[in-house]
Amino acid sequence: MTDRSKAVVLWLLVGFSVVTLSAPTAVIIGASLTSGKIVTFPPDGLSLQWYAQILGAFDLRAAFLRSLYVATVCTLIALPCGTLAGIVFAKHRIRFRKGIQVYLLLPFTIPLIGSGVGLMLVFGAGGLLGSLWPVGLACCAINLPFMIWAVAGSANALDPDLEKAAANCGAPPVQTFLTVTLPAVMPGVITGALLMFILALNEFLVSLLLVDSRIVTLPVLIYNSIRSIITPDLAAISVVFVVVAAMVIAILDRLVGLDIFLKSK
Amino acid sequence: MGEAVTTSATRTDAVRNIAVSVRRVSMAYPAVLAVDDVSFELAKGSFLTILGPSGSGKTTLLQMIAGFQAPTSGEIVIAGQPVQSVPAYQRSIGMVFQRLALFPHLTVAENVAFPLRMRRFDARTIPGRVERYLDLVRLPGLGNRRIQQLSGGQQQRVAIARALVFEPDLLLLDEPLASLDRKLREEMQLEFRRIQRELSVTTINVTHDQREALIMSDEIIVMDRGRIQQMDRPQRTYRQPANRFVAGFIGLTAFLPVEVRSVREGVARLRIGGAELQGTVAGDDTLLPGGAAEAALRAEQVRVATTGAGLRNLDTVLEGRVEDVIFEGERIVYEVLVDGFNEHRVRAFDHDPALHAEYPIGAHVFVGWNVRDLLVFPA
Ligand SMILES: Nc1ncnc2c1ncn2[C@@H]1O[C@H](COP(=O)(O)OP(=O)(O)OP(=O)(O)O)[C@@H](O)[C@H]1O
Ligand SMILES: [Mg+2]
Repeated sequence: MTDRSKAVVLWLLVGFSVVTLSAPTAVIIGASLTSGKIVTFPPDGLSLQWYAQILGAFDLRAAFLRSLYVATVCTLIALPCGTLAGIVFAKHRIRFRKGIQVYLLLPFTIPLIGSGVGLMLVFGAGGLLGSLWPVGLACCAINLPFMIWAVAGSANALDPDLEKAAANCGAPPVQTFLTVTLPAVMPGVITGALLMFILALNEFLVSLLLVDSRIVTLPVLIYNSIRSIITPDLAAISVVFVVVAAMVIAILDRLVGLDIFLKSK
Repeated sequence: MGEAVTTSATRTDAVRNIAVSVRRVSMAYPAVLAVDDVSFELAKGSFLTILGPSGSGKTTLLQMIAGFQAPTSGEIVIAGQPVQSVPAYQRSIGMVFQRLALFPHLTVAENVAFPLRMRRFDARTIPGRVERYLDLVRLPGLGNRRIQQLSGGQQQRVAIARALVFEPDLLLLDEPLASLDRKLREEMQLEFRRIQRELSVTTINVTHDQREALIMSDEIIVMDRGRIQQMDRPQRTYRQPANRFVAGFIGLTAFLPVEVRSVREGVARLRIGGAELQGTVAGDDTLLPGGAAEAALRAEQVRVATTGAGLRNLDTVLEGRVEDVIFEGERIVYEVLVDGFNEHRVRAFDHDPALHAEYPIGAHVFVGWNVRDLLVFPA
C-alpha cells in the first residue's frame, strides 16, 4: 500500500469514528432547539423554549442536584479507596492477585441489573434504602475497577528507584508516599476520579432499583417520563448533561492541563 | 555475645578512622548467591570503586549498604554504628542512582532541597545551602528549571547535588555515568573526583568500566560472581592482578596456555608449543614444575618492530607474523602469531602512532616484552 492510500484509509477511519461518536450529540442538540411540540430532527424551527421549560421545572432541577450529589459522594469514596487499591495492586506482589484480577473484570462480566438487585437486597437489609448517599456508594462499588485501572496504569509507570531515592533523602514511608508516589500517580487519580464522577452522574440501572419517588436522580426521572411521551425537554436535559461533562473536562484542563494524560506513560 | 564483639569493633573503627566496614556480608536469592562472604573496610574520605562484570553483585552490595535490602548474613557498620536495624531513611548516606531518579514533579532547586526538608534542616538555611551546592556542581542559576528541561549531564549534576547537600557520611554511586556518551562521561569522572576531593566525602562507586575505576579511585575492589577477587590501589590492581580473573578483566590481555618447567625466586621457566619462555609468578600462587599454567600478557606491554634490533632493551624477543590489525584511532592493536606458539596469538599495541606506520596483515615482525610483564597463574 502506498503512503497516500494509507493516509486516505486512516482519514476515513478517523472521520467515521468522529461522525459516529458525535452524531447522537449533534442530533440531540438539534432536537432540543426545536420550536415544535415533538422531538424531530432536523428541528422544526428554532427556539430556546424547552430550555426555559426545564429551567422552570422544579422536579428536574431537584433531580439534577441529586445526581450531582450522588456523583460527588461516589467520587469522594472512590478517591482514597481506588488510589490506594490501584497503587497496591500495581506495585506489590500480593496474594489473591488472580482473585483481584477477576474482580477488576466484573464491570464487563456481571450485568448491572444483577449488581443492582444484589445491592438493593444488601441495602434493604441494612435499612439504607430511602436515603441518597447509599446510591453514591453503590455507584462507587460497581464502577471502582475503572478507578483502580486508571491509578494502576500510572503506578506501573512509576520508577521504583524514585521511592528508594526518597528514602535515601531521609523521607520516612508516609512522607515518601505523599511527596513522591502520590504526585507520580496523580494523572491516574484525576482520570479515575473524573470517570467515576461522570459514570455516577449518568448511572441509571442500579439507581432505578435503589431510589424511590422522593429521591429520584435525573437519569431515573428521564426514564420515567420517556415511558409516557418523548418531549423535546428531554433533549434539552441531555444537552445539559453533555455541557456538564464538557465543563468537567474544561475545569480539569485549567487545573492540571490535559497533556498530563498524554505524558503519563 | 554479638553485642560485646560489636561494641569493641566499633570502638576500633572510630579510632582507626574507618567510615564503612562490611563484615562477611552475603546475600542469597533463591536462585543465586548474589553477594558471597564479602568483607572490606574503607577509610574516611577515600574513594572506592567496585568493579565487576554484569551480575557480579555490585548493585546488590550497594543496596545493602544503602539499606534498601537486608543481607542474609553478615554485618555492615557505618561511622562506627552497626546499621542492620537502621532503616534506609535514617542512614546518613547520599546516593546517585543509575537512572538518576530525580523527582520529575519538582524543580531543580526543589529536588536539591528535598533531603534538607526531609531531614528537618532549619528552613531559613535551606535556600542558601541549595544555592551553594548548585554552584559546587556548576549549575548556578538553574534552580527554577524543571528536570525535563535539562541535558543529561546537567541532570547528572543535580543528582550529585541532591546526594551531597545534606553532607552525608557516605556517598554511593551506582553506575551513574553508564548512560552518558564517552566524552561527557570522562568529563563527569573528573568532576566527581574534584567534588569528592573538595568535600572529602567517603565514596563508593560502582562500575563495570575499568578505565573509570582506574581514573577515579583510591581503592578498587574487583568482584566476580559475588566474591571479592582483589582489593587494592589502582596501580597495584593493574600491575599486580591477584588472579587470572583480574588479569583478564583489566586491560586487553592475551592468555597463553603454558607448561611449567621450573620455578626459582618468583621467575618461572615455561614452555609453550616448541618455544621456551620466562614469566613472573603472580601473587603468592604456587606453581608445580611439570604442571599446566596460564600466562597473561597485556597488549600495552608488548612492542612490535620490523627488526629485532628495535627491541634490544626487552627481555624476551620473538619472531612472528601479523594475523590481524584492529584500527582504534588513537592506537592500533596487532594480533601476532608467534613462531612456535601453535595457534595462540599475542596482542600488541602500536606505541608510536605519530609515525602513521602500519604493519599489514601477513607482515613478518618481531614482538618483545619484559619478564615481569608476563604473569603466570595456575591453570
Ligand atoms: N531481586 C532479585 N531477585 C533475585 N535475584 C536477583 C535480584 N537482584 C539481583 N539478582 C541476581 O543477583 C546477581 C547480582 O545482581 P546485581 O544486580 O547485584 O549485579 P550487578 O553487579 O549490579 O550487575 P550489573 O553490572 O549488570 O548492574 C545476579 O545474578 C542477579 O540476577
Ligand atoms: Mg548493577
